[in-house]
Amino acid sequence: MKRFLMVLALGLSSASVADNASIDLYQVQDGTKVDAKTLMGWKTWRALACERCHGAQQEGLVGPSLIDSLKVLSKEDFHTTIMKGRPEKGMPNFDTSQMVTQNWEGLYAYLKGRSDGKIQPGHLYPIESK
Amino acid sequence: MKQQRLYILIGAAAAATMGWCGMAVAQGQGLEQLMAKSSNWATQAGDYANHRYSDLKQIDSSNVGQLQVAWTMSTGVLRGHEGSPLVIGDTLYLHTPFPNNVYAVNLKDQSFKWKYEPKQNTDVVPVMCCDTVNRGLAYGNGKILLQQADTTLVALDANTGKVLWTAKNGDPKIGETNTNAPHVFKDKVITGISGGEFGVRGRLIAYDLNSGKKVWTAWSTGPDQELLVDPQKTMTWTNGKLAPVGADSSIKTWKGDQWKLGGGTTWGWYAYDPKLNLVYYGTGNPGTWNPAQRPGDNRWSMTIFARDLDTGMAKWAYQMTPHDEWDFDGINEMLLVDLTIKGKKVPSLVHFDRNGFGYTLNRESGELLVAQKYDPKVNWATSVDMKTGRPIVDKKFSPGTTGPDVNVKDICPAALGSKDQQPASYDRKSGLIMVPTNHVCMTYEPFQVEYTAGQPFVGATLTMYPTPGSHGGMGNFIAWDAAQGKIVWSKPERFSVWSGALTTAGDIVFYGTLEGYIKAVSTKDGKELWKFKTPSGIIGNVFTYEYGGKQYVGTYSGIGGWAGIGMAAGLTGNTEGLGAVGGYKDLAKYTTLGGSLFVFALPDSARTASR
Repeated sequence: MKRFLMVLALGLSSASVADNASIDLYQVQDGTKVDAKTLMGWKTWRALACERCHGAQQEGLVGPSLIDSLKVLSKEDFHTTIMKGRPEKGMPNFDTSQMVTQNWEGLYAYLKGRSDGKIQPGHLYPIESK
Repeated sequence: MKQQRLYILIGAAAAATMGWCGMAVAQGQGLEQLMAKSSNWATQAGDYANHRYSDLKQIDSSNVGQLQVAWTMSTGVLRGHEGSPLVIGDTLYLHTPFPNNVYAVNLKDQSFKWKYEPKQNTDVVPVMCCDTVNRGLAYGNGKILLQQADTTLVALDANTGKVLWTAKNGDPKIGETNTNAPHVFKDKVITGISGGEFGVRGRLIAYDLNSGKKVWTAWSTGPDQELLVDPQKTMTWTNGKLAPVGADSSIKTWKGDQWKLGGGTTWGWYAYDPKLNLVYYGTGNPGTWNPAQRPGDNRWSMTIFARDLDTGMAKWAYQMTPHDEWDFDGINEMLLVDLTIKGKKVPSLVHFDRNGFGYTLNRESGELLVAQKYDPKVNWATSVDMKTGRPIVDKKFSPGTTGPDVNVKDICPAALGSKDQQPASYDRKSGLIMVPTNHVCMTYEPFQVEYTAGQPFVGATLTMYPTPGSHGGMGNFIAWDAAQGKIVWSKPERFSVWSGALTTAGDIVFYGTLEGYIKAVSTKDGKELWKFKTPSGIIGNVFTYEYGGKQYVGTYSGIGGWAGIGMAAGLTGNTEGLGAVGGYKDLAKYTTLGGSLFVFALPDSARTASR
């Protein structure tokens, strides 16, 4: 089934983040249990229905694959994109969203974990504190 | 346009009485006259009352087994084909899902008289929640009415396809779209709005049929003057009697200004009672599927409304599912039937709600008469309290009680209801209603959402599956006694029956299945008398007409809709398509995308034998 592909080459210009910089960003166990901040990032992803354009597994639909984009997008550019949007390409600005302004770093961590292949797609749970 | 009587009239009346309509288009006649002639299929339901019944009986229970394909036609479009064509005189009017093409087909030789192919912005497609369906056209006063996905209402000259007027009904940028068929009642075109998953505020809108001018807008939520209710005169069933709704009946049931994103969209099948001059319809789910975020009854989502056709003022309203926790939209069709209840003849309205209850109300007063489960496995409520009119909710199956981020299991029915939009049919001979149903349960996990214009405003993750502890299938086709609130017979189906039923005076009822079968069963006991496998799943409504002395029965074949969204949109994750993708994944074993019209008739030998 062909979808309406508005291929967005998100952030291909700013490939400066080192590969291992994301290790401290998030903690993950068994692929589905994450730290509190990353969990809020995933909840923000879910609440804003990002999967509608970027795919349930961040694989890309109308919007670009975030698995690919997060390999090259700097944290600063990620912040700019999510806050200001790319209205000409159909990406809304989320700077009026309380969840995004509070949790954008967690969202970045979550997406980085997905892009790194460390966090599994789908439902996430908190790391049990014992 | 005042020249309705000037359209080709040559011999139309004579032709129809002789059962010979080869030469004349009967378009000059009023809609009510056209509906009265069973050779036509002049509205989506065949009449104003949503009966979906035909007096034609050349095809009957004794010969239906010999039904054959008479002709077919590709619509040229894939994805879900809901609704049905219209037939008026010698012309069949065919419609398609997005991009909503319209073709006028000459029944004499199946050639095209004209084509209308609108140009719509494809941006509308991603904001259509449950496939790019369109539920069909309306006819009135020499015009064909098309309600495009992008919310443009178009009136076409029925003879030429020329655009006579257009009206803009909403804004796709904020998630407003249309899937409903427009309905012509008297001198008005009534239409609604979709977008309950995008924080859209629902309303019913009336346009003048001749000029396209907006006459009234009746909102589902908000201040009284926008609801078109009279706090003293608009009645509702409460405390065992009808009482005025009172001031601020909607806004006092919402927190703050949440009613502005309140849902209550209006994408179903409407009905009209010319004697009472009342329009009947239902409203959809309240905005966000996470009930914790919107405390209150959320009126008037999930409501049956009766409104004056001329002014839009509500005579009565009845909310079936206050404070929805399951997405049980109340938009399903209202069947207007006259029943004998407890020895008294009652002008009734029968409605099979998504929530699994079959309701019978007095359509004149709004009095609640019957509310019973039409699927015995429905479990979210034990019953409807007949005094308050409210469901008695089982806390075990209440995501609003357990709260966000808790996954509630085995709620029956699933969000797509014991029945969705697929319209039922009233058998005027037996007095029973033939109902295509779903037999599906779900898990439901609500979560916190925030509104962004044009983005989904859902807030729940769902999975769907066949009802546990039953026959293993996802549907039933049932006969219902609306006076008693009882199932008379029930025929299990592998998948939901997502196709509208058609009952005829030949003692048979037709419907389609998601695997692609069109079936005819006996109205007496549901026994299967005939079936034929079409190329794709059927979610369209079966219709019938007569041409050249021959009865035809037809349906669209084209899988999609909410149940078929996985196939239509190429989705694969179990929770995608609002939970439908996993539940219906077995469909891929039986069918694939399509888009065609199938029309059946008896061979000449069978027709001779039956005379």
